[in-house]
Amino acid sequence: MKSCHDASCNENVTRPEGRIVIALAGNPNVGKSTLFNAMTGLGVSTAHYPGTTREVHSATAQAGEHAIGLIDLPGTYGLSGTGEDEQVVRRALQELHPDVVVVVVDASTLARNLPLALAVQDLGFGVVLAVNLADEAARAGLTVDHAGLAEAMGCPVVSTTASRGLGIGEVVSQAFAVAGTGPQTHASYSADFEALVAPLAEACPVRDRDTCACGIEGLEALENANACEKKMDAEALEAALSVRSAVRSRFGEDAGVHLARERHELAVRLARDFVTHSSAPRHVITRDLWALTTSPLTGIPLVLVVAASVFGFLFFVGNLLATGLASLWGTFASPTIQAAVHAVVGQGMTAKVLLWGLDSGVGAALGVGIPYILTFYIILGLMEDSGYLNSLAFLTDRVMHRLGMHGRAIVPLIAAAGCNVPALMAAGQLGTKRERQIASTMVLFIPCSARTAVILGSVGAFIGWQAALMVLGIVLALWVGIALALERILPGDSQGLVMEMFGFRRPSLRRIVEKSWVQFREFLFVATPIVVAGSIILGGLYETGWLFKLSEPLEPLIGGWLGLPTVAGITLIVGFLRAELSLQLLIALAAATTGHATGISEIMSPIALVVFALVNTIALPCISSVAVYWRREGLRAAIAVIVGSVVVSVVVAGLVARVLAFVGFGA
Amino acid sequence: MPSATMEEYLESIYKLSEKGQVRPSQLAEAMDVSPPTVTATLGRLQASGLVERADGSIELTLTGRQAALDIVRRHRLAERFLVDVLGLRWDEVHEEACQLEHALSPRVQRALQEFLENPSVCPHGHPIPGADGSIAEAQGVPLCENGPGDVVEIVRIEDEQGEMLSYLSSLGMFPGTNVRVCDVAPFKGPLLVEVGEARYALGRDVAEKIVVSEPVTEKRRVRKGILR
Repeated sequence: MKSCHDASCNENVTRPEGRIVIALAGNPNVGKSTLFNAMTGLGVSTAHYPGTTREVHSATAQAGEHAIGLIDLPGTYGLSGTGEDEQVVRRALQELHPDVVVVVVDASTLARNLPLALAVQDLGFGVVLAVNLADEAARAGLTVDHAGLAEAMGCPVVSTTASRGLGIGEVVSQAFAVAGTGPQTHASYSADFEALVAPLAEACPVRDRDTCACGIEGLEALENANACEKKMDAEALEAALSVRSAVRSRFGEDAGVHLARERHELAVRLARDFVTHSSAPRHVITRDLWALTTSPLTGIPLVLVVAASVFGFLFFVGNLLATGLASLWGTFASPTIQAAVHAVVGQGMTAKVLLWGLDSGVGAALGVGIPYILTFYIILGLMEDSGYLNSLAFLTDRVMHRLGMHGRAIVPLIAAAGCNVPALMAAGQLGTKRERQIASTMVLFIPCSARTAVILGSVGAFIGWQAALMVLGIVLALWVGIALALERILPGDSQGLVMEMFGFRRPSLRRIVEKSWVQFREFLFVATPIVVAGSIILGGLYETGWLFKLSEPLEPLIGGWLGLPTVAGITLIVGFLRAELSLQLLIALAAATTGHATGISEIMSPIALVVFALVNTIALPCISSVAVYWRREGLRAAIAVIVGSVVVSVVVAGLVARVLAFVGFGA
Repeated sequence: MPSATMEEYLESIYKLSEKGQVRPSQLAEAMDVSPPTVTATLGRLQASGLVERADGSIELTLTGRQAALDIVRRHRLAERFLVDVLGLRWDEVHEEACQLEHALSPRVQRALQEFLENPSVCPHGHPIPGADGSIAEAQGVPLCENGPGDVVEIVRIEDEQGEMLSYLSSLGMFPGTNVRVCDVAPFKGPLLVEVGEARYALGRDVAEKIVVSEPVTEKRRVRKGILR
């Protein structure tokens, strides 16, 4: 068992309350989560199994007079794989024992979606098949024979259009009908195969299909799925092994692979029998978009344009919004909060410290949340929903691969230049754990717009743009170095890319807004308390003067090695709350010491300014991003990043100072 | 010298045996004849010492295997001739080759082989046995060596742990599945392939492990229809 060191342990996946519990399963991109969101409202809880970051959403919703529990599982193509998605789905099915599984399929790609439904049925679960995206299928000239399909699958088949909330009531009432009726019998696999598997069904009296599937899909599945082991006695296990070898010699391939083949062939047959094309499929526009976005000649310029727009949008629009919000906060919220705090605890030290958290802290969290997270997720949602994200990932995969990531990671990395927080959240959605670790760590080392603003406001303003460019260059070189090092240090190989490329579709505003809201809400409720608490601690240290006392032992480091005045060192620590705060504070302190506004260039040499900018950029990601990183990767990783970034920044900045002094910089 | 019918049977048994055990029912299906006919012909083959039967399955004897490889060689050379020289489509030459194969004497085979510049595989990517009855075990090329427009058939997936095989099979990619390469990302990037109606991006490292039949001689850019 994994020891319980990180935050994720406290929120293990649990069975939601309800008269019946419905799990939603489906291939990626069939509208499963949209259906889930349409079925639930507020009060969705998100959890993950220790050691994984694949999220399982669950909620309790009211359906008529009954409460129902809902579980939204990660999208998968099957249940037997060794990937994290498959493992999470399998584990959730086995441990949470849903009464019924709603398998969501795309009406226009039934042949590809049905194998999962068959696999779930084979595990002994009652299934309701939700044929989603009915509107799109109708537009493409497809008709699904629901009655015929229902008979062949041995389960209810409901037509839904989740994005408009259609068919949901029917799904729920069919789920009530199916719950507790036991295993369903779907159309049989090939006669030869069924004949070979028959002895297994006899050897396992309970829920035959369940144990059958466990046995056939291999011992690997047995190891992973405890439930299989418990259900299979020695006799049944032996039967399973002999069936495996019989299948192997009869069909010349592994029994698990053959079972997948049988499912696939059955699905193709069902799709052929029960889906009719009333008009020629209209692939033309989609195909043209494919060619345009994936062929290098047109695709690469498009990637550059998109990357520049994302960056520009976050950098400029996000910044503009952040500034506007900060001034609004300062004008309206701050005075009210101050008045309230003063009314309760008076004017003393407590009030000052509290204000750090309740005023500056909340302001900082909102200043990140609204302008950056909301705007970024609307852009990301647009790219994801339209299907462009895949083309982007396809073209950039090679470059990203060198750094141990896949093409998809390009989006969080670009976004990080605007703000690290939404970038971290986006990095959390990436494929493997290793890839997520690398991507989210690398995100933290990308200067966000606030940190870039500090570089421009200090080095750029007081020395010149060339010097600012030099600082950015050093940061970039360091970034590549860290990425290459991480790729080597972290165990495991970067896993091969296998990604379904979904068709382009018209983005749905509702879906995008819903997704953005979910992310924003998570940030608000998870990160804000940490930001407020951290701000109060920092404020306490600052207001009581402890920060100055505590920084005394650091003097050899700050003054000696880095060559910075002590005040500058302290402002760097305050930068933990918000990067630009350290520069504002430094300017204010410098002005207070020297008596004029540009006092900063009197107390800081050009080299000291460069060092200050470097440390501010590399060390201590802001408290909001640490809060999100902590939640995603655990406390240990968060501490490692904080300590690591401080050490790296101090070493690099000190070395740069010496090199600059040697070449006579700014003299 | 076995009759043309017996040759057809041997060829069928050989091809089926490449995929696993051969049963009379499969043979009847493959040859499109009734089970009693299969039983009768199998009797003749057994009497000639070309096949053996053990608990319901059919196996070629050493002589039978040599005879089968010989006919397979003639069939695949004929297919090659029809596609490369006469310009017939690779998906329509099988029947024609079935007619031609019985007429190729060893001398004609040698001449044909030279004329075709010693082809190693048939237009479908299956290996052509040598005149001495040898046959290349491993055939095919990694998927990543194909370019946009190539239509290939997955021969096998080189994956010792079986994880990749299992994952790809959940996506509907099995040995025997047809794959069309649509695009290849620059700088040795991933491949965009079409399988049935689905499209997948496959990283270079994954595409290296997928061994496919060599594409049709001339890299024809098939716009649509071929995968349906």
